[in-house]
Amino acid sequence: MGPFLHALQNSAFSAWVVGSDTIWAYPMILTMHTVGLGIVVGAAVIIDLRLLGVGPGIPLEEVNRVFPIFWVGFFINLVSGVMLFVSEAEDKAAQPVFLVKLLLIAIGVVITGRIRRRLFGGGSPSMRAASSGRTLAFTSLVVWGGAIVAGRLMAYLK
Amino acid sequence: MDPFSAWIEATRISTVMRNTTWLWPACESIHFIGLALLIGGAGYFDLRLLGFMRRVPVAAAKAFMPWAITGFAMNFVTGTMFFVMAPHMYVLSAAWWAKVFFIVVAGLNAMFFETTLGTRVMLLGPNEKTPTSFKIVGAVSLFAWFAVLFFGRMLPYIGTGN
Repeated sequence: MGPFLHALQNSAFSAWVVGSDTIWAYPMILTMHTVGLGIVVGAAVIIDLRLLGVGPGIPLEEVNRVFPIFWVGFFINLVSGVMLFVSEAEDKAAQPVFLVKLLLIAIGVVITGRIRRRLFGGGSPSMRAASSGRTLAFTSLVVWGGAIVAGRLMAYLK
Repeated sequence: MDPFSAWIEATRISTVMRNTTWLWPACESIHFIGLALLIGGAGYFDLRLLGFMRRVPVAAAKAFMPWAITGFAMNFVTGTMFFVMAPHMYVLSAAWWAKVFFIVVAGLNAMFFETTLGTRVMLLGPNEKTPTSFKIVGAVSLFAWFAVLFFGRMLPYIGTGN
């Protein structure tokens, strides 16, 4: 793993991302990562809050429409995140708070998948299914908040 | 440094905050969580105004607005704290002025909606087409908030005046 991460960090691509004097490299990738954050966590917040009882006038079936938005944000951040990781692969792989962030994202994605299956796994979603999903929804909010904090602290806890 | 920034930086509150370790990263973390609440809540309503998720009554889609406003309040407070801690960094930044501009655009757009179209919202049932005026308000809001996010994140990189 070590030599591989070293090769990534010292690749021409990495040199371009972190070294080139253009806002289209590191700054734009970083900004796309923040745009994706807004979309992915924003969508998760909507799904979770609806399950927690906010917006009772919104039909549960319609919550299903929010999941694709979640995945669009997730995809933007997967791509931009991989680019950011590659450019500093050796350093990031050794950074504990980065591993915490990855773990929280993994948990968040699993929970989001579970919420979807619970609501839409069999037939039409019922309020009973939604209320049993409350723990999942609350955990999801905490986990995504934690992922944001961990991501932000990557700039400080080297 | 301009006199205004110099004055702010010399105040006791600015000095105390600057010297508080972890205050800046803590505020940043809150700022990013607020961002997600704001984009999520406002974005959902904007998409409905644009005509997506038509089976959701427009009035019901507004349910997340208090959460969006909470996110905005979190970011207004932490943003003001950033400004007080390092005013020159913002005053001299073209990106910051662009960010402020788009916050004003989003704010005026929301005010326009509340004062003119807002009352018509309640009358619009599910499955009904949103009028063009609603779509324009939704599009302006969505664009403006993402522009705020864009220029905020680009702040250290564009138009820093050096």
